[in-house]
Amino acid sequence: MSATTGVRPTKGYLMEMKRRIGFIERGTEFLKLKRDHLAKELTASIDILKGRRGRLLEELRVAYRAVTAAYISLGPTEVQSQAKSIKSRLKLEVLPRSIMGVRYPYIKVEKEPQITGELDITLSEAAEKVMSVLDDILQLAEYEARAERIADELGKTNRKVNALENTIIPSYRGIIKFIQDKLDEESLEELVRMKLIGGALARRRG
Amino acid sequence: MSPGLDYVVIRSHAMMADLLTPEQMRALAEGESLEVFVEQLADTPYGEISIATDGDTSIALEKVFYQKFIERMMGIVDLAPTRVGDFLLSYYYLRFEVINLKRIIRGKYSSIPTPQILESVIPIIPYKVESYEEIMEGETFQDAVRRLEGTPYESLISSLELSEKYDALWPVEIALNYLSAREIFKSLERLPQSDRGLVRRIVQAEADVENFLVAAKQRSSRESAHSPEEMFPATFGIGLDILSEVMAADDLRTVIQGLNPPYNEILAPLYEGDVALIRSRLRQHVYDIARRGRAVNDFGFNVVMAYLVFSEIEKADLVGIAWGKTQGIAAEDILKYLAIPTIPEPSS
Repeated sequence: MSATTGVRPTKGYLMEMKRRIGFIERGTEFLKLKRDHLAKELTASIDILKGRRGRLLEELRVAYRAVTAAYISLGPTEVQSQAKSIKSRLKLEVLPRSIMGVRYPYIKVEKEPQITGELDITLSEAAEKVMSVLDDILQLAEYEARAERIADELGKTNRKVNALENTIIPSYRGIIKFIQDKLDEESLEELVRMKLIGGALARRRG
Repeated sequence: MSPGLDYVVIRSHAMMADLLTPEQMRALAEGESLEVFVEQLADTPYGEISIATDGDTSIALEKVFYQKFIERMMGIVDLAPTRVGDFLLSYYYLRFEVINLKRIIRGKYSSIPTPQILESVIPIIPYKVESYEEIMEGETFQDAVRRLEGTPYESLISSLELSEKYDALWPVEIALNYLSAREIFKSLERLPQSDRGLVRRIVQAEADVENFLVAAKQRSSRESAHSPEEMFPATFGIGLDILSEVMAADDLRTVIQGLNPPYNEILAPLYEGDVALIRSRLRQHVYDIARRGRAVNDFGFNVVMAYLVFSEIEKADLVGIAWGKTQGIAAEDILKYLAIPTIPEPSS
């Protein structure tokens, strides 16, 4: 079915179409701005992630080695018994944040556990190592979620811009051209008709 | 020497053959997986071990190794003359009961359900208390401690004041450690004078290292620094002056290097950055004390004590290997923290 099917070739409809295409073109410009901004944010997030991931993995290895040493040295039951004696546990709050309308989770540490008091020194050292990595893990998780959601939104925005630029806007332009051609054709017909009527009236008078 | 002791000594010599050699222990640690570990164990005096599929396998295996050790210990206690048997019961059961009481009190402190606390308890018959379940019935950890009234642990109740003052468990745990050391020294009196030295050396070495570790840990929480007298009611080779120095030190290297052997070697991992190595070095030191004690007299109580010390260290190493295997830890990372496979040969 052609894009011009059902189109009313009237001046009113032409003006409505011109108003609509103006609106769509402005929207497309905004979407392009959004796309560029998201692309910039995504590049920045990926740059941060690249460096941090490697560093975090190394820190995690060190922390895991300390936990392993504590387990082998004290035995699993003793480690679990001591770990459970920590009253003040880690408390996190996940809050929403937004960038260009893209929502991503922001993790806030509400309360850090008090690990120094009740643990054996082996376990306490291991816990400190894990705690020192925790902030990095949370930040990395936040950046990963942010990058993932920005990338998702960037894809959507890109598809929207492409659809608008390659399909919607050309089809509107086609409709406008069709209406304009129709109206030109009609006004030409009207002119010819007027001339013919004018000629006939002149002949009748004369 | 009583004929009873002769028999136990001979039995201990015979039962030493059941202990795993450093090579066997290394082979167990180097096994590819938990399944291989259990298979290899079946070829040793531990025999076939069936592991429950539900729950934590490493904890199930830990219980098996504890039970094996308790069996070995009871095998000796049953044969030993009354005084030696009483001492051994007191020495081992008291230590295990102290661990159990700590676990119960910790569990109550953090409001863990009773069945979970019960799972963490070493499977022994209650020694100086009526029943562990009864202590666990206390609503709070203070209630649990108060339920020890009328038992040899009732002095713990007075540590509750300090515990409430600092909102911490360490005063109760330190009081328990002190009580345990005091009771062990008291029970030593049941042994002839000549047999006391070995046990005294072991208990003192363990207490000294534990005191040092507690003092070192206090450095990180200086804002709540407690007086050394409060924290260390019993000191031996490492005195209160050194422990106070540790609590105030910025760098432990100088303090540790100034200690006498073997403490300077045992505690060196504190500044080398691998604290867990301290316990394996301590176990090796205790192993060495028992080995030397055994070498002094092949037909005395030292042999019995050496067998039980070796057996207990074997249990600790096996617990470590079992956990490492369930977690898929590389053999070299497990071996590093074991005492028996890496123990140096005795110097002549």
